[in-house]
Amino acid sequence: MLGYWLIESGEKERLMELLRERLIECGWRDEMKALCRSFTKKKGRENVTVDDLVQVITPKGRASVPDSVKAELLQRIRSFLASAAL
Amino acid sequence: MSPTTKITHAQNLPQPCPHLAEFRSRNGSKPFQVLQDCLRVKPPGGRASIRREPDEVPRCGACGESSRPRLYACVACAAVSCHAPPGPSHAAAHADSMSPGHEIAVDVDRAELFCCACRDQVYDRDFDAAVVLAQTTASTLGGKSSSLSSAIHCQQPENLRKRRRVDYRPWTPDLRERVLMGSCSSPLESSNSASDLPWGLRGLNNLGNTCFMNSVLQALLHTPPLRNYFLSDRHNRYFCQKRNGASSGTRKNVGNTDANGNKNARTCLACDMDAMFSAVFSGDRTPYSPAKFLYSWWQHAANLASYEQQDAHEFFISMLDGIHEKVEKDRRKPHSQGNGDCCIAHRVFSGILRSDVMCMACGFTSTTYDPCVDISLDLEPNQGGSTKVASTTKSSHSCIGETDSMNPRQSCGISTLMGCLDRFTRPERLGSDQKFFCQQCQMRQESLKQMSIRKLPLVSCFHIKRFEHSSVRKMSRKVDRYLQFPVSLDMAPYLSSSIIRSRFGNRILPFDGDGDEPDTSSNDLSSEFELFAVVTHAGKLDAGHYVTYLRLCNQWYKCDDAWITQVSENIVRAAQGYMMFYVQKMLYYKASENQVAG
Repeated sequence: MLGYWLIESGEKERLMELLRERLIECGWRDEMKALCRSFTKKKGRENVTVDDLVQVITPKGRASVPDSVKAELLQRIRSFLASAAL
Repeated sequence: MSPTTKITHAQNLPQPCPHLAEFRSRNGSKPFQVLQDCLRVKPPGGRASIRREPDEVPRCGACGESSRPRLYACVACAAVSCHAPPGPSHAAAHADSMSPGHEIAVDVDRAELFCCACRDQVYDRDFDAAVVLAQTTASTLGGKSSSLSSAIHCQQPENLRKRRRVDYRPWTPDLRERVLMGSCSSPLESSNSASDLPWGLRGLNNLGNTCFMNSVLQALLHTPPLRNYFLSDRHNRYFCQKRNGASSGTRKNVGNTDANGNKNARTCLACDMDAMFSAVFSGDRTPYSPAKFLYSWWQHAANLASYEQQDAHEFFISMLDGIHEKVEKDRRKPHSQGNGDCCIAHRVFSGILRSDVMCMACGFTSTTYDPCVDISLDLEPNQGGSTKVASTTKSSHSCIGETDSMNPRQSCGISTLMGCLDRFTRPERLGSDQKFFCQQCQMRQESLKQMSIRKLPLVSCFHIKRFEHSSVRKMSRKVDRYLQFPVSLDMAPYLSSSIIRSRFGNRILPFDGDGDEPDTSSNDLSSEFELFAVVTHAGKLDAGHYVTYLRLCNQWYKCDDAWITQVSENIVRAAQGYMMFYVQKMLYYKASENQVAG
């Protein structure tokens, strides 16, 4: 239900933008780019698909999100919950 | 070497997969035109997405999910499906069940084409052109759609003309020239075989806390274009002094003041450099005392004239300025727009930086160009989330000494020069206290700023901001954090053309860097650089020591004031880099370098 509310109200869209901004700022996106590049170099450009890349970097990506970013997003969701409950 | 062939900037165009090719031949580009109406470009950042209505929330037709990371809309029938490998892919199922003709879909959040049968991204020129058009429309004044090249083409520096390349031709002296050389010069003695040190390696005596000067001088003495300029007598100190003497009305050296009491009339840092080059490359190995140079520099930078330790970078800037000022007085050519025509210092070191400021409310972007003689980079403690990632690849053990081309930008949580450059060219949000006046909104708005390099200099000097002086807190501190730097550096990703291109995401771009970015399109090689000098600092902020490492004939030499020793590359890589000097690869001769006379 929360998921539905998040999306329908457009809050999810805003949270995604915020997340995107934070992940760029802290260099996370550059790091993922670098991982993709080294993977593609290893396998050869013709032998890599988008799905392969997603599969390879997802665990690393999830593990390397800085705690501060997680905390900030959680806080935003909490306040959204609080305001939605009213 | 064969005459330089024109290297066309070939963006490797991805070939369409069979399904896309089939789709195009069957439907032409009509479906893509329909999609154009659904393109929504959202400021800031201008990301393009596909929405039938502005507020539409796309959902998978099969499972009703709207929270999947990737949702694809079939280009043939507009059905939306999710795609979440290794889980179920309703997009692939749709392509299968409706086969043939429904394989091509578009990512609704990224406006990128995908082939559900091949399970990979595909690219189409017409589609990408439509997306790019929508994105550039958003960033131009009045929101009016305009031709792409004019949208990007803003305030070009006036004198960034294309330099016509001259073919390289090898030269050997003919008989007349041999005679001329023989009569007007004397051969240098070949260095004794015992010491195999290359030409131009000579210690510099410390004249009292002058290691800051010695370290920078060593780097400059071996800066290829600068070295070539002075060694080919382009600034002849005898002629220069004679000209000065004549203009001030007296030929005798009356101290350093001329008839007008102008102290700087006699001092010419370029002449002192010329003298130093002659001395250092003479073959004499005894340490040289750059006293005359120090004195001249004190004349120029009176506020820094003391026996206290100074900042090497500050000295570097001051020195370039001194050379420029003297030449400017003679020839009256200002350092405008970084064309480097004013003096040798700027010809070698001057580049152009581009700054784009984008309004977060409407997307309008304002661009300015500024010349620069170096790039100062922050060295912050936290670089990305890499401190949390334990790198499991092989590279984790060979961060030091690994070949540079394989190094990811940030591995094992170590700061790298390329990481610093990434951060330098990253979009940065200007705080609410730094609101920028937007021409389109006609009011101050929060904005996004992004730097990039419009024109690369012949020699790039990277200065790492290790010394922080806070006037607010009245304290200074030094950042000792280790910085990894490569021996070969490709600056292409930091060029304006690359940065602009990356704003559009994964697209085939109709403008391949022509017209607006001539330097990158005319020759790809000019973005590759080779490291030749590293100025390092060891010790505390107020009690430290500068040492320079020089790379000559692929050997590394440590220049510690009067002491020159050969060292291994590992020593250099482990040192604390403060200023790194890179020269364009074409000007760096790795193999030859046998500068033996005659």
